[in-house]
Amino acid sequence: MNEKSSKPNSAAGSSYVFEAIGLKKDFDDGQVHALRGVDLQITEGEFVAIVGPSGSGKTTLLQMFGALDHPSEGTLKYRGQSLFDLPDTAAYRAHEIGFIFQAFHLLPTFTASENVQIPMFENHKSREARKSRALELLKAMGLEHRVDHFPAKLSGGERQRVAIARSLANSPTVLLADEPTGNLDSESAHHVLDLLASLHREKNMTLILVTHDMSVARRASRAIQMKDGHVVFDGDPAKLSIPA
Amino acid sequence: MTFFDVITRSLKRRPIRTSLTLLGISVGIAAVVALIGLSRGLVTSWTSGMKSRGTEIVVHNMRGSLTPKPFPASSRDRIAHLPGVAATCMIFVDLMSIENAELMIVSGREWGCFAWENLKLVSGRLPTDQNERAVVLGITAADILKKKVGDTVQIETEELAVVGIANGGAFVENGSIILSLPLLQQISGNRDQINAIDVRVDSGMNQAGIQRLCAEMSKLVPEARAEPAGEHIASSEGYRVINAMSWGTSLLAVLVGVLGVTNTMLMSVFERKQEIAVLLALGWRRSRIMGMILWESAMLGFLGGIIGVLLGVVGVQLLKRAPALRGMLEPDLSTALMLTAIAIAVAVGVLSGLYPAWRSSRVSPSLALHG
Repeated sequence: MNEKSSKPNSAAGSSYVFEAIGLKKDFDDGQVHALRGVDLQITEGEFVAIVGPSGSGKTTLLQMFGALDHPSEGTLKYRGQSLFDLPDTAAYRAHEIGFIFQAFHLLPTFTASENVQIPMFENHKSREARKSRALELLKAMGLEHRVDHFPAKLSGGERQRVAIARSLANSPTVLLADEPTGNLDSESAHHVLDLLASLHREKNMTLILVTHDMSVARRASRAIQMKDGHVVFDGDPAKLSIPA
Repeated sequence: MTFFDVITRSLKRRPIRTSLTLLGISVGIAAVVALIGLSRGLVTSWTSGMKSRGTEIVVHNMRGSLTPKPFPASSRDRIAHLPGVAATCMIFVDLMSIENAELMIVSGREWGCFAWENLKLVSGRLPTDQNERAVVLGITAADILKKKVGDTVQIETEELAVVGIANGGAFVENGSIILSLPLLQQISGNRDQINAIDVRVDSGMNQAGIQRLCAEMSKLVPEARAEPAGEHIASSEGYRVINAMSWGTSLLAVLVGVLGVTNTMLMSVFERKQEIAVLLALGWRRSRIMGMILWESAMLGFLGGIIGVLLGVVGVQLLKRAPALRGMLEPDLSTALMLTAIAIAVAVGVLSGLYPAWRSSRVSPSLALHG
C-alpha cells in the first residue's frame, strides 16, 4: 500500500523537512565508514522507509535525523537550518520529533501512563495536564484499560503502542521509528504499522522508519535503500528489487 | 507523576543496594550524632551543673586536661572581695573509682557555701559539720552505687557514712558524691589545695561585666584562670582534643559514606546508560539528567541522615548507660545537632553524586538506538 506524500512546506522557509548534503559518519577513528556521503531530501508529510542490511548505515542515518549524533562531514538541515547549529538540540528532540525504538525502551518502574508522561517534563506542563494528555494518547492507542499497568504486564504489541503514545506526547511533526516491528509477532506488527500509517495519514506527520523487512518497507510512500553507507535506491518501494 | 516520583522510583528499583547504601551513610551520621552529642554533652552537663549551683564564674586550672589541676586554697582570698563578687565557694573535684563503679565525680565543697544550697534532700540529711565523716549522694550516684542512707561508701581507703541522698537539679550534680572540702582534701592527700572556685556575682551584672570580672580575677590569680561557667570546659585543651577526635572519627565514618554513595550512584549510572540515552533521545536535557542523579544522591543522603540520627540517638542512649559514663554526662542531642547531622548527610549525598552526575552527562543519546 502506498502512502500519499505531502507537498513541501515552503511557508516554513524550506521545501524540505530534512536535507542531507554529503553526509558522512566515521567510527573508530575513521576505521569504520557508516555513512559515505549521503545526499537526500525528505519533504513534509512523507512516509519514508529506510531499508538495508545490518551495517548499511540506516540506523546511523536515523541517529542523524534525531540529532543523537554528529556527522563527521557534510550537512544535515532541518527545515532549512543546519540541525547541528541549532542552539538547543534537546529542545529539537523534545518538541520537533518523536522516537520509537525496536526494544520499546519503556522505563520498567513506571506505568504506561507515567512512561507517556516522561517526555512532557520538558514541556513545562502541569502534573494534571501531563496525566490528562497521557490518558488521551493511550486511549487513542486503544490502551485505556492498560493505563496503570507496568511494562512487564503488557504484551509486546501493547508496549510498542505505549511507546508510540510516548513519542506523540509533545505533538511532534516528525516520527522516527527504528525497527518498530522488529520485536513483535506478525499480528502485533500489523497492528502497529496500521497505527503508524494512520498517524501519518490523519496528522500529516512525517514518518521515517528504519526496517530490514520488505513487507514493512512497502507500506511506505518512499523507500531509501542503503548499502555500505551509500544510498543505492531512492523511490517507489514497490520497485525495490533486492530484498533488504 | 512528578519529577520527585522519577527520583524515588529509581531508588526503589534496587532496594537491597539502596538499603545497604543508606546503612553506610547512616552509620557515619550515627557516629556524628553519638560522638559529637557526647562531647558536647560534656560541656552542657557541667554547665547545667554549675548553673544549678548558681555559679556564674569558675576559677580553675584546666589547661591541657579535663580534670582541673590543684592550686592553693589561699588564691580565693585574692578575689573574694573584688567589687561585683557576691559569694565564692572553694571546690575540690576529682574523678575516682568508687567501689564497683569505674569512674565517679567526687565533689568536695567548702562547708556552708552556696554550692550546698541546691541540694534538695530526697532522704536523710546533710552532714552536721565539715568534720563529720559523711557524704551525700546525688540520686543517680546512689542508684549506681546501690546505696541508701545508713550505708557506707569507700573513697580511697576511707569508709564514709551515707547520710543523705539529694537531687542536685542537674545531671552532673545527681551523679556526684558530695562531701565537705577538708574531708576530701584529707582523703586525696591534697591538703590546702583546691581545683576550682565557684563565684556568684552581684545580681543584675551583665555578660560584659562578668567578662571584665573574669579578666580581673585571672590577673589576680595567675596560677588559675577565671571564665564564665561552662566556658571553662569548652575552652580546655582536653575538651578540644576530645571534640577534635570526635569530629575526626565522625568525618572518617562520613567519608566511608561518601565513597559508598559515590559507588552506588556510579553503578546506577553505568547500569542505566541506555535508559539515560533514551531520556536524552526523548528530549530530556543533560541538566535534567544530572539533576536527577544529584537529587537521587541527595535523597539517599537525606534518608541516610534521618536513619543515622535515629541510630545515633539509640546508640547514645546505650552509651550513656555504660559504666564509664553513667552519671558523668548527659549527651547533648539538641535539635541543632540533629539538623546539622542531616545537613551533613545531604551534603554527603550531593557531593557523592557530583562525579556520577557528570558521568551521566557524558552518555551519548545515540546509545538509545543500540539494542
